[in-house]
Amino acid sequence: MEHERVEREVARKAALIYLPMSIGAALLFLIAASVLGDYPTVARVGGAIWVGVLSLIVSMPMVTSRVKKQWRGKF
Amino acid sequence: MSEHPAITLTLPIRGMTCASCVSHVESALKEVPGVASVMVNLGTERATVQFANGSVPVEQLVTAVRDVGYDVPVETTTLAVSGMTCASCVAHVEGALKELPGVAEAVVNLGLGSAKVTYIPGVVTLGQMKRAVREVGYEASETSSGTEAIDRERQAREEEIRRQGRNLIIAGTIGLLVMLGTFYDMLGPFKAIVPEFLSYKWVLGLLTTPIVLGPGRQFFTNSWRGLRHGVTDMNLLYATGIGAAYGIAVINTLFPDAGFGGEGATFFESAALLTGFIVLGRWLEALTRGRTSEAIRKLMKLQPKIARVIRNGREEEIPADEVEIGDVMLVKPGEGIPVDGTVIEGYSAVDESMLTGESLPVEKRAGDSVIGGTLNKTGAFKFEATKVGKDTALAQIIRLVEDAQASKAPIQKLADWVAGHFILGVHLLAVLVFVFWFFLGYNLFFDPNSSFILSPYKLGAIGVFGFSLLLSVTVLVISCPCAVGLATPSAMMAGTGKAAEHGVLFKGAEAIENASKLQTIVFDKTGTLTKGEPSVTDVVISEQSSVISETDHWSLTTDHLLRLAAIAEKNSEHPLGEAIVRGAETRGLALVNAESFDSIPGHGVVAQVEGRAVLLGNRKLMRERSIDFSRLMPQAEQLEGDGKTVMFVAVEEEPAGLIAVADTLKEHSVEALRRLHQLGLETAMITGDNRRTAEAIARQVGIDRVLAEVLPQDKAEEVKKLQALGKKVAMVGDGVNDAPALAQADVGMAIGSGTDVAKETGDVILIKDDLRDVVVALETAKATMRKVKQNLFWAFIYNMLGIPLAAGLLYPFAALIISPELAALLMAVSSVTVTLNTLLLKRFRPSIRREDRPTRGAGRPQLQAAPVASGN
Repeated sequence: MEHERVEREVARKAALIYLPMSIGAALLFLIAASVLGDYPTVARVGGAIWVGVLSLIVSMPMVTSRVKKQWRGKF
Repeated sequence: MSEHPAITLTLPIRGMTCASCVSHVESALKEVPGVASVMVNLGTERATVQFANGSVPVEQLVTAVRDVGYDVPVETTTLAVSGMTCASCVAHVEGALKELPGVAEAVVNLGLGSAKVTYIPGVVTLGQMKRAVREVGYEASETSSGTEAIDRERQAREEEIRRQGRNLIIAGTIGLLVMLGTFYDMLGPFKAIVPEFLSYKWVLGLLTTPIVLGPGRQFFTNSWRGLRHGVTDMNLLYATGIGAAYGIAVINTLFPDAGFGGEGATFFESAALLTGFIVLGRWLEALTRGRTSEAIRKLMKLQPKIARVIRNGREEEIPADEVEIGDVMLVKPGEGIPVDGTVIEGYSAVDESMLTGESLPVEKRAGDSVIGGTLNKTGAFKFEATKVGKDTALAQIIRLVEDAQASKAPIQKLADWVAGHFILGVHLLAVLVFVFWFFLGYNLFFDPNSSFILSPYKLGAIGVFGFSLLLSVTVLVISCPCAVGLATPSAMMAGTGKAAEHGVLFKGAEAIENASKLQTIVFDKTGTLTKGEPSVTDVVISEQSSVISETDHWSLTTDHLLRLAAIAEKNSEHPLGEAIVRGAETRGLALVNAESFDSIPGHGVVAQVEGRAVLLGNRKLMRERSIDFSRLMPQAEQLEGDGKTVMFVAVEEEPAGLIAVADTLKEHSVEALRRLHQLGLETAMITGDNRRTAEAIARQVGIDRVLAEVLPQDKAEEVKKLQALGKKVAMVGDGVNDAPALAQADVGMAIGSGTDVAKETGDVILIKDDLRDVVVALETAKATMRKVKQNLFWAFIYNMLGIPLAAGLLYPFAALIISPELAALLMAVSSVTVTLNTLLLKRFRPSIRREDRPTRGAGRPQLQAAPVASGN
């Protein structure tokens, strides 16, 4: 049971890091698309969502694994 | 970290005998940083450790306990893991298991669908392991053994083939309709037979939806399960690809003015065919993957299901796994032998080729041992069971091959690491590709008349977002490293299985990889290159013997001399004397008893044989008796120069001749060495003999390097010296006396171990006492590694060529891009290429076995079936 509790805690802590990172990447894309060209709103928003999703996929395992390593010693 | 919850852990401890042991263990554990409290119980042999900060440094605890002289026992279990499709799956399952406190090691085999876990019992349970595997998106169950396991594995494989086959039929059939609808305008005269409504976007949407939600659902559910636990695998690549294509198509159909390219960019066929091709790849993989593990199935099938036991004088047919040690069984011609045992009555020939690789049937008579799983050929016999169940040779061989197939070669660890990190890299690349085409590429290069490779379909009015997304998705789909994951384990499985067929057992994948890189093969001399017992090699007659002949009316021949010497030595227990007696018996000479016999310690014997005084011994004995052997001295010295021991024989005080005795080479030593040289390998011999004897043997057999006068305990040191020269060294020995040298070598080969393989040391076990099997082992290892490298080439070449194309590298020049469905097809082809290439290894035969084949049966002993009382 302790293992599951630790898992939940790790997942929560990791989410607090990778979610802002992904949202940040999406926002950065949105700002860049708004500033750098005359893109349709749908393209800007759609692009931001796509970049956000991919950033989430990239950052989620990296951050989760790092948080886990910090949390407990590995055998 | 102080806010972390406290954790309590219970460790099993072995070796404690008293209260002071308890105190030692407690003190040691308390010194581990982070430990809040420790309670050791001598009665239960357990230590309960509490941590204040939530961290569980299990490895530190184990080290602390072991440092003070006690042990924390570990156990090994194998879980059957289903749902794994690529190398990143392997990394995820291994990662999930290794993260469990108490798991020391986890090795996952994609080909076998298994996870071998070493763990501390009590700290972690099988249930927790299974749950951990399930939580990252796969299914885990305990494996069973024997025929139950093979049945279960076959059922699981057949179920997977059926499931993917069903998915393929759905995706293929409906996908074909979607294709017809999509390309309706290009059908020309065939338009008449295709209803026009199929080309309506909403109809295409309706047709594609069941494909995505049916056969495609597995990719979404699996990737979601993994994502929840922070892991990404190839399912995610597919899910994002299918999801993006389908999502954009739906939006463009329902909301054509949303800015995603409108009705001109509804990629329903992309979503449908992408799913179809991925499912096709899964189906083909399921179909072919099981065939690489055929060796284990073949071995398991050797085990007869029924044994004919004689109990209370009656024959009874009982299940073979119910046979007990001491049971007497009857085996008739053509029947399999159910367990290991010793023949007590009857005479037959048994085909042991399936276990030992020996091509000719082996004669069996009372006192000989038989191996369970081998096939009785000609006669009937009774035998008594000596080993049953998991102790039989067949069970040991199966276990060894299974262990080898479950292990990982260094090259595979590297490939898994690459593939494990590949997916993250690919997603990163997908972001870069999207950003590039969104901000730069589209404006610079987009051409509405451009199209997909191998497709007449024009990109038309697709917008910047749709175009960039399309390329980004294609990169994801084409990058799947599923073939990378299969490349090494599938070849290793086929290779270890193929070697086992020829009586060569590799204990691990690492042994195969190391064996393929060997440069020097070191042989132990006695018992490996040579028979290990002296035998008569030369008999020389003195010219003076004619004198004896004339006076005695008796003609002295080499056989006569040998016979006289053998009769004189008949009562001797000296090894040289025994060799002479054996030599005479081998030549069919009748040996009567000597009238008198007297041993002269350290010199020889004197005996009265058929009325003649026979003196047999060393030259010192002859000198003392003033018998002049000067005419025979040149021959004597030449024989000694060849490393042989010379015995001088005098009859009636006259020199009669010489008998040379030496440890002789085994039948196939010279051929084995010749073949090793043909493979470009250096050969060395290690022996405790003096240099002259050693070099004589080396000359006969063709050894390159002689390591003579080496004490048994120094053999490992000699191997180390060769390694220090930068050579990859194999040591071939009997596996018992040479254990340290076998362990020191890069590859230790235990030869002639028979079928009691479990106790053998060494990385490779050669069941037969045939040195040519060293060549079989090396050729199989090289063939396997060749296959591994070919597979890795095929696995990576698709990605290396496909990714730049998918990212749009060709587009600025040729206005062509790869469609997601073509990307999926390429990936499916990549996996299938690798698996089919591995299956080619099934045709491999070591060079010696290729030459054996035509002679099979020739020279086979002609045995008569011997009648055996049936017991009735």
